[in-house]
Amino acid sequence: MDFRRKSKARVERKPEYENLEQKYKHNVLLYRMPPTEDIKIHEFEDLALERLKVLRILEQAQAKSLRFLSDDWKEYVHDELSREGLKGYLRLCTNGGNTAANNASKHEFELQARRRDYISHFILRLAYCRTQELKSWFIAREMELFKYKFSAMTPAEIKQFLDLHNLNYVPLSAEQKNAVKDGLIESTVGQSVAKIEMLDFYKVPFTQVLDLVRSRRCYLKDGQAYVNTHDFISIVGTKQLEEIEHGLKSAQRLIREVETDERLFTLLKSLHTSYTGKDYTVGKDVKVPIESIDQLSKKSFPLCMRLCHEHLRTNHHLKYDGRMQYGLFLKGIGVTLEDAIRFWREELTKKMDPEKFAKSYQYNIEHNYGKKGSLKDYAPYSCAKVIQENVVQGSVNGCPFKYYDQSTLKQKLAAAGLGTAHIQDVAGLAAKHHYQLACAKYFQVTHDTNVEVAINHPNHYYLQSQELMGNRVEKKSHAGPPRKSTKGNVSGSQSTQDYSVYMNADDDDELWNIADDTQKTFESSTQKPAAKSTDIAWEDDLDLTAIDC
Amino acid sequence: MPEMETENTNSTTTEPVTAENPDEKQKKTTYAAVYDPECLPDMLPVYYRRLFPHKPFYRWLSYGLSEDGIFVNREISFTLHDDIYIRYLCFETQQEFEKELCTRCPFKIDIGAVMNTRPKNNRISAAAMAPVQRELVFDIDMTDYDDVRTCCSDKSVCQKCWKFMAVAANILDTAVKEDFGWEHILWVFSGRRGIHCWICDYEARHLDTQGRSAVAEYLQIINNAMGSNGASVSRVFIGERMHHSVRRAYQIIEPAFEEIILRDQNLFSSPKGIEKLCNFIGDEVARQETEQFLLNNVEDGAPALKVWEAFKRYANSMRCNATQSVWSRRLKNIIEEIQLACLYPRLDINVTKGFNHLLKAPFCIHPSTGKVCVPFNASVAGKFNPTTVPTIAQLLQEINAFDEKNKAEDEADEKSRIKDYKKTSMFKGVVVFEEFVRKLETSLKAKSKKLNEINMEF
Ligand SMILES: [Zn+2]
Repeated sequence: MDFRRKSKARVERKPEYENLEQKYKHNVLLYRMPPTEDIKIHEFEDLALERLKVLRILEQAQAKSLRFLSDDWKEYVHDELSREGLKGYLRLCTNGGNTAANNASKHEFELQARRRDYISHFILRLAYCRTQELKSWFIAREMELFKYKFSAMTPAEIKQFLDLHNLNYVPLSAEQKNAVKDGLIESTVGQSVAKIEMLDFYKVPFTQVLDLVRSRRCYLKDGQAYVNTHDFISIVGTKQLEEIEHGLKSAQRLIREVETDERLFTLLKSLHTSYTGKDYTVGKDVKVPIESIDQLSKKSFPLCMRLCHEHLRTNHHLKYDGRMQYGLFLKGIGVTLEDAIRFWREELTKKMDPEKFAKSYQYNIEHNYGKKGSLKDYAPYSCAKVIQENVVQGSVNGCPFKYYDQSTLKQKLAAAGLGTAHIQDVAGLAAKHHYQLACAKYFQVTHDTNVEVAINHPNHYYLQSQELMGNRVEKKSHAGPPRKSTKGNVSGSQSTQDYSVYMNADDDDELWNIADDTQKTFESSTQKPAAKSTDIAWEDDLDLTAIDC
Repeated sequence: MPEMETENTNSTTTEPVTAENPDEKQKKTTYAAVYDPECLPDMLPVYYRRLFPHKPFYRWLSYGLSEDGIFVNREISFTLHDDIYIRYLCFETQQEFEKELCTRCPFKIDIGAVMNTRPKNNRISAAAMAPVQRELVFDIDMTDYDDVRTCCSDKSVCQKCWKFMAVAANILDTAVKEDFGWEHILWVFSGRRGIHCWICDYEARHLDTQGRSAVAEYLQIINNAMGSNGASVSRVFIGERMHHSVRRAYQIIEPAFEEIILRDQNLFSSPKGIEKLCNFIGDEVARQETEQFLLNNVEDGAPALKVWEAFKRYANSMRCNATQSVWSRRLKNIIEEIQLACLYPRLDINVTKGFNHLLKAPFCIHPSTGKVCVPFNASVAGKFNPTTVPTIAQLLQEINAFDEKNKAEDEADEKSRIKDYKKTSMFKGVVVFEEFVRKLETSLKAKSKKLNEINMEF
C-alpha cells in the first residue's frame, strides 16, 4: 500500500451500488487485488477494528478448544458475531454464495458487507506484517475466517466461485473416475459411498491439498490427489494462504513508507493490542472510596491488580509501568483523582520525600486523569495490553499468568487462598499460554461460582465480580454500541479533518517503482466529481496508491 | 542451531560380529578381522583413499549439474577425530571433495541442504542464506521398536529384529512410489541399528517445509499413548474405512505378522505378553476385561501364537455379540490395528520434516561398530543381513589379501586400484548405489532432452 503524500486534492466518494456489484461479486472472495477506492481515515480505523473483533472471536473459539468448524465451534462463533453486532460478517460467514439479489435492501447490505470484509483484510495486512508472531496469528485467523465462509457454500456455489476466480478445474470423466473408483471409495473421508458415486472428482497435484494429504483424507496416486467438490476448501485455502503470505511480504517492504504518516503509524502499530470492547475510561457510575480498596483488592481485583496493590502496600513502591497499569485501573473502577493522589501519596511518601512526590509523581497521576499534559483521558489497560507488557526484574506489572514461572505462580495462588486442586487447574491453563482462561478460572474459584466468564479487561473482571456479589447492577447505558478505544492512541483522528485515503486500481508491483509518476494519479483523481473539495487540507491528503499487499 | 541426527558415537557397546552365515566369497577373511574402535583413525586414510566410492558419490550429489549450484552450494559437514564438528563445508569439484576426504578423514560425513549461496560464506551472509532444495529423507531406528522386540534391546540388533526394518522399508518404499510417484529412492543401512531413506526426485527435493511435514504425517499412522503400566505404547486407529495406503501396508504386514511377532519374538506369550497385547487396546474397560479373559482362558506359559488365536476369537465374538458396545465401534478393527501397530514403519518424522536437517551420508563408517553404511535394495531388504555388513577392519584385510595374491602377477596396475571395492564385500553395496545413480542420471537426461526439444520449438 502506498501512502505517499499527494499533492492534489482527493474527494471522498461514496461507493455506488452497481459499482459494488462489479467489484465484489461473491460473498467469498480471494483477496487478490487490492481495493480501489477512497476511504477516510475514520473508516480505515473502523474497518480495521471491526475485522479485528471478528478475528478475536475466532481466536477465542480456538482458545476454548472447540474443534474448527464443528457444530459447537459454529454455534459459539455465530453467537459471538451477533452479540458483537457484526451482522455483515455473520451474513458472509453463514450464507455461502447465496446472494439476496431479489431483495434490494438486503442485497445492498450484503454488498456493503463484502466491501468491508475485502478492504479491512488489506488494512490488517499492513498492521500484521511487522513481526513473525503477528503474521502467524493473522494468517491462522484469516484462514479460519476464509474456510468458515467457504464451508457454507453448496457445490453449485463453489462452482460459481471457481469460475469467478478463473480456477479452471475439469472433473474426471466417468471413465477416468471409474478407473480409480476403488481408491476413491476407500480413501475419500467424510463422504458416504453413495455420495462418492455421485460427486464430481478432480485430480490435482498433492502439494495443492497438503492438509488432506497430511490427514489421509483423499485418494493419492502418483503424486496426484483425487478430491471432490467439497475438498475445494482445501485447494482454494492453499491458494488463499499463498496469497496472504505473499501479500504480507509485500506489505512488509512497504510499511516504512506507509508509516511516515504518524496517525497511520500509531494506528497500525497498536492495532493488535488495541482493545475492541468497552473502554472503561472512567468509572462514571460509581465513586469508589479509596478506603475500600484493601477489601476490594482481595475479592474483586484480578490477580494482576491484586499483586500491584499488595506490592505497593508492602514495599511502598511501584515502578513506572506498574503505576500506569494499576493507576489507570483504579481510575477505571471509580477512584477519584483526589482519592488517587491521597492514596499514592500516603504509600509512596513512606519511602520518599513528599516534595519529590509532589513534583514528579503527582503530575503523572493528574496526567493519567487527563488533567495535565496532553489533557487526554487515558484508558485503563485491557488484557491484551497487560499481557503484552514488558516485565523487567522487580516490577509487578504485566499479566502474572504469563510472567511468573509455574512454581512462583503456584505460590501466589496459594497466597491468594486457592486450594491445591484449583492451583493446578489455574497454573495448568497458564502453562499452556491460555492466560485469559487461567484468569477466568481464577475468577470462578475465588468467587465460588460456575458462571462462565470471559476475561478481556481487568476492569471488566472487576465489574463482573461486583455484579456477581450484588454490589452493582450493570447500567443500561453500556448497552449502546461499544466505543472504540483507540482514540487514545490515534490522537486527532476523531477530529473533523477530512483525510482521504485513496487506493488505486492499478495494483502492480511496478507501480511502486514509478513513484514520481504523479501525473497518473492526478488524472484519475480529477475525473471524480469534485463536490466537496474545499475543506481538504492539501498536505494531509494521503495517497494509498497501489496496494499490493 | 539446525537439527542433527543424534547418535551416540562415544558408545563402546558393539554387537558381536557374528560370522555364522557369511557370504561364500568372504568366508576366508571374516573370521580374523575384529574391529577395534581405537584403530579407526589409522584405518580411515586407507578407506577413503582406496575404498570410498568417490565417483558415484559425486555423481549422485551433482545430479548431472541439472540445476545451478546444485553441488557447490551443498552443505556438507565433517565430524573429525575427538568429536570436532565442522559445519558449512562445501566443495567446488569432485577432485576437491575427494582430496578433502582423504586428507581430513572424517569419522562421519553429514549431508545438509543445497543453499542459495556457498555455505562456507555463512559468516558473511548468514541472514541471507537459505536452503533451496534437499532430498526428502526418512530415518527409522531399531530402538523405536523396543516395545515389540524381545530378541534384543537398545543398540543391539540381530537378524530377527532386522525383519522389522525389512517390513518398514518395504512399506515405505511402496508408498512413496505408488502414492507420490517418486522413483529415485536410496536406502542405506545406518551402520548399527537403523535405516535411512533418501528420496531424490526433483519434486521431492523441492518440497517446502509444509510439504515435507504433510508427507511425513501421511506416512505416520502410529500414535504414542500411555499404557496401563505407565509405559509408552504404540497404537493405531483406522477409523471408518481403511485408507488405501494403510490397506496396502496391511497387506504387507499381515503375512509377516505370524513369523515376526508370534514366532520370532513370541511377543504375547503368557502371562507377561498378555499385558503387552492388551495394552494395545485403547478402551480401559475393554482392556481389563480382555486381559482377565485371556489370563483365565489361556494356559500359563502358552506361546504367543496361542494367545493371539484366543484374543482373535474373543475380539470377534465380542464384536458380533454386542453390536452396541465399544467392540463394534471404536474397537471394531482392533485386530488389524494391533498388527499395524506392531509392524508399521515407526518414523522419526522430525528428520523428515526438517528442510535443513543433516543426515549421515552413505558409505560412512559407523565409529562404534566399524560397519560401512551400505546402500541396500528395499525390494529385497529381507535378504539383507546387518550382522554381516563388513567392518572397515574386514575390508582392509580383504584388500590386503587381494594385494598379496596379485603382487606377483601385476605389480603396477594403476587402474585396478580405483576399483578396489570390487575386491571386497562392500561390492554389493556399491553396485546398488551405482545402479541408483545410473537411473537417476538417465531420467535427468531424458528430462533435459525433453526440455530442449520444447525450447527448440520456439
Ligand atoms: Zn534382535
